[in-house]
Amino acid sequence: MSDFDLDDEMDREIDRRLAALARNTREPALPDGVADLPWTVQLAPQRTAPFSFLRGLGGFGRAATSVARLGLTLAVAGSFLLLVGHIRTGGSSAAIVELPATPRPSGGITAPAGPEVVVVPTSGSVDDVMASFVAGAVRRAEADGAAAVIIELDTLGGSEAAMQDIVKSLNSKVPTIVWVGPSGAKAASAGTFITLSANLAYMAPSTNIGAASPVAAGGGDIAATYGQTEADKVMADAIAAIRSIAENRHPEAVAWAITTVQSAQSYSAQQALDAHGINGIASSIDDVLNKADGQTVTTSSGTVVVHVKGASIVTINEDVVQSFLHTLDDPNIAFILLVLGILLIGVEFFHPTLLMGLVGAMALALSFYGSGSLPLNVLGVVLVVLGLGMVVLEPNVPSHGILTVAGIAVFVVGAVAFYGSPGPYLPMVTVAWPVIAVMAAAAAAYGLVLVGTLIQMRRQPAPVGLGLVGTDKVVGMTGSVQADLSPVGTVYVGLESWSARTRDGANLSRGSKVKVVGQEGLILIVEQVE
Amino acid sequence: MSDPLGPSSESGMFAKESFLTVEPVRGKVHPAVALDHTTFDTAFVAALEGELSMAYRLAGYLLADSAEAQDAVQEASVRAWRGWKDLREREKFHSWFSQILVNVCRTRLRQRSKRRTVDVEDVSLESPDPFRAALARDAVGRALSSLSNELRMVVVLRYWGELSLAEIADRLRIPVGTVKSRHHAALQVLRRRIQPVEGGTT
Repeated sequence: MSDFDLDDEMDREIDRRLAALARNTREPALPDGVADLPWTVQLAPQRTAPFSFLRGLGGFGRAATSVARLGLTLAVAGSFLLLVGHIRTGGSSAAIVELPATPRPSGGITAPAGPEVVVVPTSGSVDDVMASFVAGAVRRAEADGAAAVIIELDTLGGSEAAMQDIVKSLNSKVPTIVWVGPSGAKAASAGTFITLSANLAYMAPSTNIGAASPVAAGGGDIAATYGQTEADKVMADAIAAIRSIAENRHPEAVAWAITTVQSAQSYSAQQALDAHGINGIASSIDDVLNKADGQTVTTSSGTVVVHVKGASIVTINEDVVQSFLHTLDDPNIAFILLVLGILLIGVEFFHPTLLMGLVGAMALALSFYGSGSLPLNVLGVVLVVLGLGMVVLEPNVPSHGILTVAGIAVFVVGAVAFYGSPGPYLPMVTVAWPVIAVMAAAAAAYGLVLVGTLIQMRRQPAPVGLGLVGTDKVVGMTGSVQADLSPVGTVYVGLESWSARTRDGANLSRGSKVKVVGQEGLILIVEQVE
Repeated sequence: MSDPLGPSSESGMFAKESFLTVEPVRGKVHPAVALDHTTFDTAFVAALEGELSMAYRLAGYLLADSAEAQDAVQEASVRAWRGWKDLREREKFHSWFSQILVNVCRTRLRQRSKRRTVDVEDVSLESPDPFRAALARDAVGRALSSLSNELRMVVVLRYWGELSLAEIADRLRIPVGTVKSRHHAALQVLRRRIQPVEGGTT
C-alpha cells in the first residue's frame, strides 16, 4: 500500500482503519446461509461441429452446411444403391443368382417320371431384374435337363439392354417357348422382340403383340432429346434387330414384324398367327404343352424335337429381392418415390434430422433406378421437380400461398406428362390419376401443414422450467417466496429458484404468493399477490 | 439462402452455442458458484475456481448484498465462459476476470441508483446480510455507504481486493491519476463522516 502516499495524518488513520476492517472481514466465512446457494451453473459444452467454421459466414455458411450434409446423405444412399444394383444385376459373373440344379430324388436310377418343363412367369417392365431372373431360370432348366422352358410373358416393354439379355438367354440348349398370356396380356415393345426370339411362340386368345402405342413421327422423345439423327439411328437399329429375329422364325413374318416397330402396329393373337409371327394360339400352359409337342426347333445345341406332352411342370418364381426391385419399375411407384424423395429432402434441408434426408435420398435413388426402364419425359420430370421446389420454398418466400398453388399446378402438369412417348422398346405408360391426386395432396399438405408446424415449433419460445434462463418468459408467472424477501431473497417460479426482490421494497416472508413483474439480469422483480 | 424467420429460428437450424442452465441443488454447495466439471473446459474450471472466493468477497463488499453478489459472480462467470475461447493470454485470466466482475458490479450499482429501489443503509442494520453485517460492526464500514459508486469501488478494490494503484486502474479502466484522486476523495468523505460521530461519542 506504499504507492498511496498520504500526506495527512487523518487520512492515514482512515487508511489504517479501512485496512484493518478489510482484514477482519476477510473471511466473514461466507455464513451458512450464503453457502446455501439454490443453483449451480452449467453451460452446454461448446459444439465442435466439423462445419462450425462456416457459421461465421452467416446465411451462406448455413446453406453450405446444409448442402454438404445433404451431399453426404446422398452419397451414403447412393453407395447403398450401387450395392443393391450389383446384387440385382447379379454382378458380372452372375454368380449371386446362380440357381442350383434341382436334385433328382432318385438320381435317375428309377424310371424317369416323364419330361420336366420349367415355367417362368414374368410381368411388368422388361428390366435387369427380369433379365437375370429369366437367365437364371434358363440356366437351371439346362442344368436339370428339362424338356423345355416356358416364359409366361405380359409386359408393356422396357429397357433395350435387358431385352437383349433375355433374347440371348432364350438362345439356349433347351427349347424355349414364350407364351403371351393369360388372356388380356400384352407383349408390347420390348416384349415383341422377346416373343419372336423364342424357339416357339404362343399367344393366349385376346392378347396383343406389337408396339403399345404410336411412336411420334421421327421417334418422339429420342428425337427431342438427342436429335433427329439419333432417333433415326435408334429406329434403324430396332428394325434391323426385329428383322434378324423374325428371319429365324418364318420368312413371311419379317415384313409383318417390321411394321410393329416402324409404324408401331399392334396385332391380336389371330393376326399374328396369320402372319406366321407365332406358332399358335394356346389358352393355357397345358394347351401350350399339347401344341408344342412334336415340333422341331433349332436350339444352340442343334435341331431337336420337342417332347413335352404330359410333362411335369416346375414353376420358378422371383425371389423376394427380385420382386421388390422389379416393383420399382412400376411407373406409379417410380413416380411416388420421386415425389416422396424430394419432399423428404426438402424437410431435411430446412429441418435437419439426417433420417429424413437419408430416407428421402434412398427414395429418390430407388426412383431413378426404377425409372431406368421407363420412358421418362425430361420436360415432365423437370416440371414435377420445379413444382415441388416451389411448394418447398413456400415457407421461405412470403407469397401468401401463391407459390404453393402455382407449384401444385405445375406439379400436376408435370405428373401428367411424366412419361413420354416411348421408343421402340420402352413401354407406353402414364402415371395413374389417383396417384397424381394423392401426391399433389401430399405436396400441398407438406407445404401448408408440415412446414407450418415446423415454423410454429421454431417460433415457440423456449419453455421455462426446463433449466433455461435468458428469456423473459417468467415475467407474468406466479410463484412463492422461498427465502424471505427483505427485500431481496429467493422465490420459486417456473420450477426453479430465482433470486428476487420486491418492486416496492416491501419485505415478504417465506411462503407468500408473488407475481413476477420484471427481470433484471438474473434477479426477478416480484410483487405480492393475494 | 436468407432465413426469413429471423433470430428466433436460430435454435431450429443450429442450436445456440451455449446456454446457461440453472438447476436447483439440494444441500450445500461451494460458495458463490458451483461448477459442473464435466461440461466445462477443465482449464477454464481450474482458472475460474481460483477466482470465485475472492470474486464473491469483492462483489459482496462492492454491492453490500450477498444475493446480488452471488448473481454478479455468476454473471461474470458466464461472461468469462463466453469470452474464454477468445482469450489469447490465459495467464492473464485473473486480471481479465476481475475486470469482468468489476464491470458487472458497476452495471448493477448504476442500475440500482437509477431505479432508486432500496437505500442500502436503510436496511443494512436490520438485514441479516453477512456483508452488511460485517460492515455495520465498524464505524468506517458503516460510513462506506455514504460513498458514491466510483469512490466506493476504489476503496473496496484497494482494501478488500488488496490491489495496487496500477491494478485498480487496470480493473476500472481509468487512468492511475484518477484512481489516486478518487482514493483521496474517498478518504476525505469517510473522514468527514466519521469525525462528527466519534467526536460526539468521545
